[in-house]
Amino acid sequence: MIDALSWIGRLGIYCFRLFWAVLRYGVPPRRVVEEAYRIGVQSLPVLLVINGFIGSILVIQGYISFAPLGGQQLVGMFVGLAGVREAAPLMAATMIAAKAGTEMASQIAVMNTREQVDALEVMAVNPLAWLVGPRLLGILLVMPAMTTIAIVTTVVAGWLVAQFQLGLDGYQYFLLVQRTLSPLDLMVAQVKALSFGAVICLVSTFCGFVAPRGPEGVGQATNTAVVVCAVISVSINFLISQVAYGG
Amino acid sequence: MADSPVVLSDVHKSFGAMTVLDGVSMDFPAGQTTAVIGPSGTGKSVLLKHIVGLLEPDRGEVRVFGTDMARASESARYAVRKRLGMLFQDGALFDSLTVGENIEFPLVQHRKDLSSTKRRERVAEVLKMVELPGIEARAISSLSGGQRKRVGLARAIVHSPEMVLFDEPNSGLDPMTSDAIDQLIGHLKRSLGITFVVITHDIVSTVNIADRIAMLYGGKLVAWGTVQEVLRSQEPVVRRFFSRNLVLPTGEGEPSLPGPQSG
Repeated sequence: MIDALSWIGRLGIYCFRLFWAVLRYGVPPRRVVEEAYRIGVQSLPVLLVINGFIGSILVIQGYISFAPLGGQQLVGMFVGLAGVREAAPLMAATMIAAKAGTEMASQIAVMNTREQVDALEVMAVNPLAWLVGPRLLGILLVMPAMTTIAIVTTVVAGWLVAQFQLGLDGYQYFLLVQRTLSPLDLMVAQVKALSFGAVICLVSTFCGFVAPRGPEGVGQATNTAVVVCAVISVSINFLISQVAYGG
Repeated sequence: MADSPVVLSDVHKSFGAMTVLDGVSMDFPAGQTTAVIGPSGTGKSVLLKHIVGLLEPDRGEVRVFGTDMARASESARYAVRKRLGMLFQDGALFDSLTVGENIEFPLVQHRKDLSSTKRRERVAEVLKMVELPGIEARAISSLSGGQRKRVGLARAIVHSPEMVLFDEPNSGLDPMTSDAIDQLIGHLKRSLGITFVVITHDIVSTVNIADRIAMLYGGKLVAWGTVQEVLRSQEPVVRRFFSRNLVLPTGEGEPSLPGPQSG
């Protein structure tokens, strides 16, 4: 417990130092775009596959639940509530944590092991501003787009299953998705996306910096990063949903 | 001491119960090459990290170009570091950048006044100095151990520093490559005329390149002086350290420079 609190405290100090460094030294815009592109391209295929299956399975489960009651057309509403509001943003975050987050953690842990972080310091370059700043701004830039793609993929995959596998009316499906959702839902999804992006970058890079030097430390950083990112993202998702929809 | 770019005063450092530096006081004379020697685990690299401000002493003071590195603000520390160059054990080169981009890195960061053409010319110049001309486009992963050291050295001197620090420049190298690196350091020492601090436990290398020797043992400075003074030391631990396979240089002739792209 004390270790966990100490870890959280150190993460807080790390975030403070990072924001101060970014404000003071700035971040080259070119590197932000490079990072955003890398994170996006890296995570897009897995994001499409996972959210495609999430949309499909939501429609099948919705159909199984509602069909006995004669409400099979309500699957559109089910996808809107469970898929768009909750599953799609969360799955996007999980996949980006698994791909980009683990890469951030391992890259920084390797750089630390090979004294490249020390080299930056000795060359009078702030490692937080140089290494983490572009990754943080890059992920914040790309997360809303990735979440939007995840939502669209979930809805479209659900429609494909509803229309072509279950023989439901596709127009009704989209109509119910649209009626279930409001602009607020899409805004909430973007707030979640930005929060998840910040958590993934901050936690993963922190894990990379504090890992013991050596191959074991790299593995430890990657493992801790993905587990902590998942736990914090799910907790944040609950809190934001609670505030937005909890009544 | 007034001319010394680095002055250590009663420096103490411990990691938990382990004392690594135990009251070390010394200075590194300007324009000379000082080798800090000692068996593994005696605090040589820790001493180096104190000089560049990566570690802070528990007690005592490390002044570099007159700045107390532990108590200075970050901007003051960075101002000092811009006057330094450092060769890390494995080069600490960035794998995502090419050789040329690695060497250019300090100039890109701190010499905004230089055009990219001027920067590239300077990169070519220092690559020639380390006997690796024309390899700007090579990937770091394609370099041998000796080449990594040379590229690391090129990066350390590209911004014309006033002092260069070497952390175990011969570690992990075969004897021939190690000798080539020694000769290169000797050549740079003569051509640049700046202060060198070399951390090593390689006796032959020490005698080849150093003007002065500081020997650390058990966290204490057990010997400190010119090469001849330390070699004549009657301190048992110094005699034991130097008795291992030491062949003193004859002083006849100058060592030749290593060939292009060797090592």
